[in-house]
Amino acid sequence: MSAKLTDRSQQDFGLSPEVACQVRDLNVTYRVDGRELSALREVSLDIRQGQITAVIGESGSGKSTLALALMNAVSSPGRIASGSVTYRGLGEVTRMRGEELRRVRGKAISMVFQASQNSMNPLTRIGAQLLDLARSHDLPNPRAVLREAGDLASRMSLDADRVLTSYQHQLSGGMRQRVGIIFGLVLKPKILLMDEPTTALDVLSQSSVLEIVRSIQRERQLTTVLITHDMGVVAELADRVVVLYAGRVVEEASTAELLRHPRHPYTRALIQAIPRLTGDLGDAKALEGQPPSLASVPNQGCVFRERCPYRMDVCDTILPSFRFDGDGEHRFACHYEEARRD
Amino acid sequence: MNKLVPRLIRRILGGIVMILAVASFTFFLIHMIPGNPVDAKLAQLEIAGVQPQQAMTEVHAMYGFMPHQPLYVQYVQYIWELLHLNLGKSITYAGVSVTHLLLEAMPWTVITVTSGIIVSFVFGILAGVIIAVYRDRGISNGLTLFSTFLHGIPQLILALLLAYLFTTIWAIFPYGSPYDAAIAPGFTLPFIGSLAWHAVLPVAAYAISSYGGWALTMKSSVISVLGDDFILASELRGLKPRIRIGYIARSAILPLFTTLTLSIGFMFGGSVFIEEIFDYRGLGYMLITATGNLDYPLMAGSFLIITVAVIVANIVADFLYTAIDPRIRV
Repeated sequence: MSAKLTDRSQQDFGLSPEVACQVRDLNVTYRVDGRELSALREVSLDIRQGQITAVIGESGSGKSTLALALMNAVSSPGRIASGSVTYRGLGEVTRMRGEELRRVRGKAISMVFQASQNSMNPLTRIGAQLLDLARSHDLPNPRAVLREAGDLASRMSLDADRVLTSYQHQLSGGMRQRVGIIFGLVLKPKILLMDEPTTALDVLSQSSVLEIVRSIQRERQLTTVLITHDMGVVAELADRVVVLYAGRVVEEASTAELLRHPRHPYTRALIQAIPRLTGDLGDAKALEGQPPSLASVPNQGCVFRERCPYRMDVCDTILPSFRFDGDGEHRFACHYEEARRD
Repeated sequence: MNKLVPRLIRRILGGIVMILAVASFTFFLIHMIPGNPVDAKLAQLEIAGVQPQQAMTEVHAMYGFMPHQPLYVQYVQYIWELLHLNLGKSITYAGVSVTHLLLEAMPWTVITVTSGIIVSFVFGILAGVIIAVYRDRGISNGLTLFSTFLHGIPQLILALLLAYLFTTIWAIFPYGSPYDAAIAPGFTLPFIGSLAWHAVLPVAAYAISSYGGWALTMKSSVISVLGDDFILASELRGLKPRIRIGYIARSAILPLFTTLTLSIGFMFGGSVFIEEIFDYRGLGYMLITATGNLDYPLMAGSFLIITVAVIVANIVADFLYTAIDPRIRV
């Protein structure tokens, strides 16, 4: 078993050297009242080695589903209908089952949860839970995990001894969130998935937590996927951005490029909606309307057309394909932009 | 932890107050019963030719208070005697003190009821976890059906059925006494073995009648815990199934502790039938004898003991709860 795993860790599974995880044509559906509704449609992504890739979208855009799909953890009534998620050194996770999958989760790929404050067992001390984690992944020396967690805690300006001997309810919301991040980092994963890691925090804790995440990520060259709805967080942290709308990728670029030259009308609307420190608060424009629900996503044409100021006839019938910009590092799917540039 | 002792003392004092309140209630209840058992006994003694003065003394000895005195004096006397653990004298077992009778009866009931509760709790919880965790498989449906079925059988019918099946149809277990008369009572292995062997059916009756309730409550408790964020998190952190089941079970058991206390009262209620059927001279048997013979002191005493049992169990459950749920610790 271990021999097999070592063999795998050297394999690239056909991924190009800068890619840590390759998602291809991923479709995730939820079965509701006998109908299969798509939460993710034909999502393809390359998550780059050692970088922070942000996935941004509104509630219901499928970003949390994507995070779960990256761990093959979409649970009933949802399922991964087709597509692949391949990791360097691990292989195809959507084909993994049972024990094989369990060993990957939390060890090679770990996740910091949206509700991280509630991700700990309320009845057991934090230290004991870290030991459970270490034992679950058959670490030769489980106690070393406590030392590692203690170091991480000190870096996050937590009192390590106090945190490890505490129960969840004895810690504040901000402290728990940091403990959630410690759980995500303590086994030294190859990939870290963070689902809205700072949503529940006040602005000050938010920026200090982000700073810590950034420095640890840099230090370990940790491949990170950051799920968020907050363009501010993206600007502060991410190397690349993937914009998700109604279960489809609509634009992807490096953060600097995307903020400077957004192509898709949805991305532009998101950027315009950021309130500025200077100038009139009214300069920030909210995007009108609601994202479509799972049941009302149109099956043909562009998924954004209902809210798009540049809607054309073609948008109703034909799904826009990706157009590449720059040196092929920037892609977007929009008929209007395409027509404008031709 | 150093706050544990003061808290225990507070709870015990509270318990004593509660016991006195129930005793007072029982006292006034007896007083309000039409026909007035005190007068009835007094009249009975006078008819039998006992001198009025002597009859009064006897009745006093019997009930622990003097009739024909103002109610509050009788009450104060009753409570005063109660504080000295004097519950009066039985009418059925003429002249024997109720305290003595109850102390003798208590072990039979306490041991069988406690064993029954433990057995049903353990099996019910295991079944509840299995039903909830494998809820889309056949074993879950089967177990649910089985548990609901057992939950629906009244204790009385169940005890009769067990007695009929296992002592008459298949004479596997002995019937009619709590131990083999041929073995000399004492703290010896054969005697204890005989006690245990005779106790199988009554304990099974208690256990089976409450097993279904535990299983079904545990099932819904586990299902609600399965939806908790930390359980999903433990799965995505790749914790071993054994460790995850431990997390789930411990969280899910908590709400059952409250029910556990209530069930003790219910079980003592059931002892009325079960001890009658299996011929155990326990508290249930005492209660039914007392009721049949209008033995009010014994009745009041039996009720009081059941009250005390529930209150004590409450305190114990409260402290157990503290031990397994760190959030309750002060």
